[in-house]
Amino acid sequence: MIAHERLEQLRQKFGAAIQHTDFPADNRLFVHVEPAAVKNICQYIFRDMDARYVISIGADDRPYSGKFLVAHNFAFDHDHLLCSVLVELPADNPSIESISEVVPAASWAEREMRDLVGIKPVGHKYLKRLVLPDGWPEDVHPLRKDSRWDEVPTGFSDDRELTFDDPPEGCMVVPFGPFHPTLDEPAHFRLYVEGEMVRGCEYRGFMAHRGIEKLAESVMSYNDIPMLAERICGICGCVHSVAYTQAVESAAALTPPPRAEYIRTIMLEIERLHSHLLWTGLACHILGFDTLFMQSFRIREPIMWIAEKITGNRKTYALCQIGGVRWDFTPELKIELRQTLDKLEAEWRPIVAAVSGDKNIQKRTRGVGVADKKLVKNAGLVGPVARAAGVDMDCRRDHPYAAYDRVEFNVITQNDGDVWSRVLVRVQEVFESIRIIRQCLDKMPDGPLQLEIKDELPIGRIGLSSIEAPRGESHHFVITGENNRPRRWRVRAPTYQNLQGVPMMIKDQQIADMTISLGSIDPCFSCTDRMETIDLRSGAIRVWSQQELLKLTQRQKA
Amino acid sequence: MNRAMTWTILGSLLNVAAVLLLAPLFQGVLRKITARIQSRQGPPVWQPYFDLLKLLGKEDIESGETPTMQRFAAYLSLATVLAIACLVPMGFAVPLNGMGDVVLLIYLLTLSGICTLLAGIAAGSTYSLLGISREMMSMISLEPLLVVTLVTGALHAHSLRLESVLNGSPYAGSGVPWSGLILLAVMLLAFQAFVQRVPFDISEAETELMEGPLVEYSGPKLALFKYSHMVKLIIHSALFAALFTPWGSHLVFPIGWLLFWIKVFGLVVLVTLVAATHARYRIDQAIRYFAGLLVVASAGLVLASYGY
Repeated sequence: MIAHERLEQLRQKFGAAIQHTDFPADNRLFVHVEPAAVKNICQYIFRDMDARYVISIGADDRPYSGKFLVAHNFAFDHDHLLCSVLVELPADNPSIESISEVVPAASWAEREMRDLVGIKPVGHKYLKRLVLPDGWPEDVHPLRKDSRWDEVPTGFSDDRELTFDDPPEGCMVVPFGPFHPTLDEPAHFRLYVEGEMVRGCEYRGFMAHRGIEKLAESVMSYNDIPMLAERICGICGCVHSVAYTQAVESAAALTPPPRAEYIRTIMLEIERLHSHLLWTGLACHILGFDTLFMQSFRIREPIMWIAEKITGNRKTYALCQIGGVRWDFTPELKIELRQTLDKLEAEWRPIVAAVSGDKNIQKRTRGVGVADKKLVKNAGLVGPVARAAGVDMDCRRDHPYAAYDRVEFNVITQNDGDVWSRVLVRVQEVFESIRIIRQCLDKMPDGPLQLEIKDELPIGRIGLSSIEAPRGESHHFVITGENNRPRRWRVRAPTYQNLQGVPMMIKDQQIADMTISLGSIDPCFSCTDRMETIDLRSGAIRVWSQQELLKLTQRQKA
Repeated sequence: MNRAMTWTILGSLLNVAAVLLLAPLFQGVLRKITARIQSRQGPPVWQPYFDLLKLLGKEDIESGETPTMQRFAAYLSLATVLAIACLVPMGFAVPLNGMGDVVLLIYLLTLSGICTLLAGIAAGSTYSLLGISREMMSMISLEPLLVVTLVTGALHAHSLRLESVLNGSPYAGSGVPWSGLILLAVMLLAFQAFVQRVPFDISEAETELMEGPLVEYSGPKLALFKYSHMVKLIIHSALFAALFTPWGSHLVFPIGWLLFWIKVFGLVVLVTLVAATHARYRIDQAIRYFAGLLVVASAGLVLASYGY
């Protein structure tokens, strides 16, 4: 058993520091370790055992064990193993040695842990706020169990401006965002520009953090959360819904019936199809090539229609429940889906030929926004960005879920790590998705859609789930809990890691390449803000605050 | 008032009216053809007229750093292109023939670029400044191409007068018109840049610079800039037609006049097709491209000076 082997390696090296271990299945390993040894152990796992860093999670476990909990998750992609290094911290002093020095990819996760749970990563080099706005009081941490989900702490000032670092000498600051035609959602990059060259940048995002995790932990139930998870993302919603459901199922050791697994696979691939077609279109638009933009959107539309026929919705499929799915495939739907795929394949070929033969596009994308293997490893980049750099990883194959272990497909890789390679990876993946859906339609067995769950779900168990979203690995971490809801649910979307690589990708590049470099990771932020109205008669300008807007909507509802 | 004077005034008015009336129509045709290529229905060809009317009727927000200069730049922009319209033949003889030569033409064409610079400086935002730095770079490398072409024509015609140069003059060498053919190729390859369409809409690049120099413009003044942008398409097409395809312009009124507008229409369609099938270049790539063209064009000029 591979989990045993890995554990033996760790035991030999750090025998005394390992408190206890748990491997509920051959593809999961939980190692509880002493707080003092966590940095060395993570370094060993990340560097010597060459595992991929996934995410770090902080949890307030005080009501149950009287302690804080930190988990550093790693993936052994070749061994098909997900591993979690767990540390318990005393309630009176929640601080832990930072691992970001040895695992650079953990930088954001540790900053977020400090913001939201109040666990201090000691030795972190850049402890600026990540998620919370600058006007939020220092000692209130929303994800602690003693914070209410709808709490607005006293001393919170909504209109405090963000603080920024000083630009390097000789550089001008070009503010990119929060609103920019190529950013479909608010995020702010301060580009340090010398002439037309970008020398560095600072990122401030999380402007529309919706507190979805907190909401799930406090007021929703297991089967409500898939609907909420789906709304995390406007494009890969189904991915989050399935990832959450699988995390709970893995914690509770449930297996959904085979037909449900096939349906999940089909819907995930339909989502990948429309996401990749959308991305190809947007990338062409960023490059000023609007004809291909329009054509990809035209080809994409029938996919949305068939999704609507299957689930009743173009986008938010409301597909998953714990232990099953809610929608079935009738024979008519199967035929129509096949026809849609045939048409898509026939129409996609000329587009791929047009894109791959276009000198003009290559001129703009070759050697641009390069993320090499080293950056992929250090920043924990995932998905097409990693595959374009020649890193052969794909959760569908490496950590098989749903019905992916029963279908055949190729993992597309390229070697240059530039935007052009990412284009090639994505356009080819469309064909693989079509292949997967066809196989699923052939192999899908009859049977129930939903597992019968008689007992309450066990309490205090940890579930991990990694899913290959169109943008890369989407990872969900769940600790099951009382009252029919999880104690802690942590979502790590692929963009969370990929964004951390952007500053390195755009460094020493032309500012004109910034938009396509950022676009090439297929970023996914989130939305809401304030608006401005002008009184025509007096000419007075009035800025509506978030609260006022909120009041306005609530009044209209009532 | 003698006949010549009457023609100067009447002809100028005619040209100005023609470009003002037809520019939005050509823009509409361009949009319609683009839409068909993109599998879209596209707006009606009259849409640009409505767009301009709508912008002209909108509130005029002056959000730039120096509103006076912004205002000035917008007026000057349209005024310049309309002045150029009087210096280019449009189906008839050049209206302002005796009052200027090709040097004035070159100055005025440069001035229309300067207006964009003024607009960008007046707006004072980071994006508009980036936009004008790009505009300036492409202007510096594009201008010589036009100068070389007109000088070649002047060399052949032995005159700087508009009526002689803007009449197929690049071909006027002895024997096979080598210099004329070389410059025809160069100007065709650079045409997209002169009318500032994809792949050379670099200084405005919506997805990078959010319209660059025009970022702080709205309402009527934006309409003026849009209008002059549309007029530029006609003017450069007319200039191209007069220099390289002068055939048939001397025929009697409706035929010569119709032929001219058919040529302009053909060029607009060409611009549309190129714009719809290309991605935008980066500024350094564009400059390298222009530099290559300039080398070839200079070769044409050398040939011309030897009479070919």
